[in-house]
Amino acid sequence: MGKTILIVDDSQSMRQLVKMTLTGAGHQVIEAVDGRDALTKLTGQKINLIISDVNMPNLDGIGLVKAVKANPAYRFTPICMLTTESEQGKKAEGQAAGAKAWIVKPFQPQQLLSAVEKLAG
Amino acid sequence: MLNDQQWSQLLLSFVEEAHDLAKQAEEYLLQLEQTPTDEDAINGLFRAMHTLKGSAGLFSLTPLVNFTHHLESLLMKVREGQQALTPVLLDLLLRGLDEVNAMVELIDADSGELVVDEARHAGLIAALTSHDDSHLIPLTTIEPDTCKSFGRLDKCASCDQEAAWHISLRLQPEILGNGFDPASFLRYLSRLGDILQLELIDDALPALAEMDPESCYLGMEIDLCTTAGKAEIEDVFEFIRDFCTLRILPPNAALDDYLRLIHELPETDQKIGRILVASGLLTELELDQALRLQAADAQQPRPLGSVLVEQGMVPAQGVNAALAKQQTVREKRNQENSQIRVAAHKLDELINLVGELVISAAGAQLRAQLKGDAACIESTQTVNLHVEQIREAALKLRMIEIGDTFNRFHRVVRDVSQQLGKDIRLEIQGADTELDKAVIDRLADPLTHLVRNAIDHGIEPADQRLAAGKSAEGHLRLDAYHESGMIVIEVADDGHGLNTRRIREKAVARGLIDAQANLSDHDVQMLIFAAGFSTADNVSDLSGRGVGMDVVRSAIDALRGTIEIDSRPGEGCTFRIRLPLTLAIIDGFLISLGDDYFVIPLDMVTECLELEADQLDGAAYGYLDLRGRPLPCLSLAAHFKLREAPSKRRNIIVVSHGRQQAGLIVDHLHGELQTVIKPLGQLFQHLQGIGGSTILGSGQVALILDIPSLFRHLHTHVEASPADLRTSQPRQIAAGQQGETPCNSSAT
Repeated sequence: MGKTILIVDDSQSMRQLVKMTLTGAGHQVIEAVDGRDALTKLTGQKINLIISDVNMPNLDGIGLVKAVKANPAYRFTPICMLTTESEQGKKAEGQAAGAKAWIVKPFQPQQLLSAVEKLAG
Repeated sequence: MLNDQQWSQLLLSFVEEAHDLAKQAEEYLLQLEQTPTDEDAINGLFRAMHTLKGSAGLFSLTPLVNFTHHLESLLMKVREGQQALTPVLLDLLLRGLDEVNAMVELIDADSGELVVDEARHAGLIAALTSHDDSHLIPLTTIEPDTCKSFGRLDKCASCDQEAAWHISLRLQPEILGNGFDPASFLRYLSRLGDILQLELIDDALPALAEMDPESCYLGMEIDLCTTAGKAEIEDVFEFIRDFCTLRILPPNAALDDYLRLIHELPETDQKIGRILVASGLLTELELDQALRLQAADAQQPRPLGSVLVEQGMVPAQGVNAALAKQQTVREKRNQENSQIRVAAHKLDELINLVGELVISAAGAQLRAQLKGDAACIESTQTVNLHVEQIREAALKLRMIEIGDTFNRFHRVVRDVSQQLGKDIRLEIQGADTELDKAVIDRLADPLTHLVRNAIDHGIEPADQRLAAGKSAEGHLRLDAYHESGMIVIEVADDGHGLNTRRIREKAVARGLIDAQANLSDHDVQMLIFAAGFSTADNVSDLSGRGVGMDVVRSAIDALRGTIEIDSRPGEGCTFRIRLPLTLAIIDGFLISLGDDYFVIPLDMVTECLELEADQLDGAAYGYLDLRGRPLPCLSLAAHFKLREAPSKRRNIIVVSHGRQQAGLIVDHLHGELQTVIKPLGQLFQHLQGIGGSTILGSGQVALILDIPSLFRHLHTHVEASPADLRTSQPRQIAAGQQGETPCNSSAT
C-alpha cells in the first residue's frame, strides 16, 4: 500500500529524482524546498516518512529534525536523511538530534525504496 | 622487458608447472573415480585446469588455452552439478589430461611456440564439446530446489526448521522514539523469504505502573527460510542496528556449507575475522563490533574467536573451522617457503665435491698419524667428523619421497584392470619413505612391470576369486620401508600365487633346467626371472611376452639391489625389492692384490676363507668344497692379469648375488670401508667386472668390483670351456677344517 512521504530538498532535480522513484513504487509524495517549507507542509497532514536533505537554506535538515521531534504530533514519524560523503560530521549531529536513518548520496533508486520499506513498510 | 634467456626460463618453469598441474588433476580424477561426489576433489580439479589455462594464456599458447578451455568448461558443469561424473566422462577427462601433457611437451623451448596439429586432437575436442552439451545427465544427488542447497531459489515449499536461519532480536526501549516501527522491519524481512516462526519475547516488560508507553520492551526469535546470506539478512536491520541486539545464526544445514566454504577459501594469510567474513558466516558490522568489544577489554585481551562465540555471532564450529584454515594456510606457506627447486646436476656436483673432500680429509689424517703430531691428529679428526656430517647432509639432499612414484600406479592399476575387466584396489603404504632420486627414477619401470604382472597373472578374475572364497575385488599393495640400512619395496597381491608346477614345466620345456633337477619351490619360483620365460597361457597385450621379469631383475641388479619372491599358493604373492639407500655411496670391503686395491660391495660379501696357496695352482677358475657344496672360484689376479704377491696363504672372499655364490681369490683383506663411488671415465666404460672407482685416504685409487658382471663372466667361462673345469676340479679344500677367518660375515 502506498505511503505518504514528505521529501525536503532545495535541489529541484534531486526532488524530482526522489519523487519519480517513489511515485513509481506507488507512494504519494509531498515536496518541500527547505526546512521551513517542510514544517508548514506537515501541518494537518498524515505523513508516513520524511526524507530530507541536510544542507538547505532557511532551516537546514538538522534544524528540521529537531523541530519535528519537538512536535508531539510528529515525534514518532520516521526521518531518513540524505547526505553526501563529505557531510559525515553532520551525521553525528543529526543522529544526536534524532535522525537515525541515513542514506549516502549518490544512491541507487532501489536503495531508497528499500529504506522506505524498512522505515515505513 | 624480459630478455630471451629470462623468457625461456619462465617458459621452462611453466612447463614444469603444467606437468605438475596435469598430474594433480589426474590424482583428483582418480580420487573421484572412488568417490564421485568428493567436492574437494572436484574443486581441486577445476582449479588445476583453470590455473593451467590462465598460465598458458600468459605465454600465448593459444592451442593449449583452447584445449584446456574445453576441459575447464566441462568441469565447471560438473562442479555446478549440471553434469554427472560418469565413468565415460572420467575416461574422456583422463585422455584430455594426457593430451595436455603431450601438448606441453610440444612447446618449443627456444621460440616459446606451440604448433599443434589441430586434426590430432579434433576428435577429443569433439568428444569434449559433445559431452558438454548433448549428454547432459542431471545429477540426482543435488536437488537445486530444496532449502538445503546453497544456490538461489525463489520460493521454497518444503521448509523445515533445520534449513531455516534463526534471528534473535532484542529491541531497545528508545527505538520507537527514534521513529522506527519494528513491524516495518519484519515486513521487510519477509521479502527475503518465509518467516516460519516468530516468537515474541516479553520478558523485559515491566509492571503496568512502570511501563512507558513510548518505550519498546519487546524481543523476537524468528525462524526465516531464505536463500539470502547473513549480510543480506543483517542489511534488513540496517537502520535499527544501533537500537537492538541482533544475532543471526545460520541454518544447521547451511552451517556445513559455510564450513566447507571456509575450507575452500583461497589460501591467503588472513586473520580469523577476515576468514569468517569472507565465508559469509560473519558480517563486517559484527566484526567491527567484536573488535571493539575485544579492544574494550584491554586489560585481559581475549582471542577474537572466543569473543565471537561468546557473543553468539558465530557458532563454535565456524570459529574452529576458520582456525583450522588459518593453521593449514600457515603450514602450507611454511612448507612452500622451506622448499627450493635445484637442478639435479648441481646436487651431483656438490656430492662429487664432498666426496673429494672426504678423500682429502682422510689423506690429511693419514699424514698427521704418520707424523705422530698429537695436536695435528686431533684437529684432522675434528675435520673428518665434520666432513662426515657434511657428506651425510649432502646425500640427504638427493633423497625424495617415493610417494609420487607410487601414486602414479593408481592410473596404471586403473587402466590395466579396466582393460582386463578386473576390479582391483591399490593400497599404498610408506609413501613418505625417502630414497635417492636416481634410484627412484630407475625404479619406475621395474615397478610398472611388477604391478602389471600382478594384475595380469597374479589376481584372478572375479568369478574365480569368489569361488576361492575371496572378495570379488582384488587387492594390490605397494609398500616401502627401511630395514637394516636398506630400503625394502614390496609389490603384493592377493591372487593365486605362483604356480610352481607350471613354472617348472615351462622351464624344462624352455631348456632352462633339467627335467630331473632337484629344485626347491623357491628355486623354481626364481626361474621366472630367467631370460625368455613366460607362463601366461595367453600372451596378452599387457604382459606375458616373457620379456618382463628378466628386465626387472637386471634393472634391480643395476641399482645394486636384490629381489625376492614370497608366494603363498592361493593367498597371493609378494615381490620384495631391497635397495641401497643411495647410489652415490657404498659400504665396501677393501681387498688388495699385490699393489692394487679393490672394493667389493659389503652387502654381497658372505664370508672370508683362507687356503694354502698351492691348492689352486694358479688356475683362473676352479671349484672349492664349501661345507659340502661346490663353490665356483675365480682368481682375481688371473682374471685381471695382475701379479700376485708371493705368499703361502691366500684369502677367498665368498660373494653372493641373488641365489648364486662364488669365491674370489685375493691376496689381502683390509676390512670394511665406506666410500664415495666415482663413475668410470668414458674410456673405461666398457671394462668388464669393474663398476666404478674410489680414492682411498692414502690417495691410492681402488676399483670397485662389479660382482654381477663377474658372475656372468664366470658362468660363461665355465660353460664355454668345460676342460678347464675338469682340470681344476680336484683342487678342493675343506673350508671347515681350514677354519674361517672371522674378519667378516655380513649376511645378505
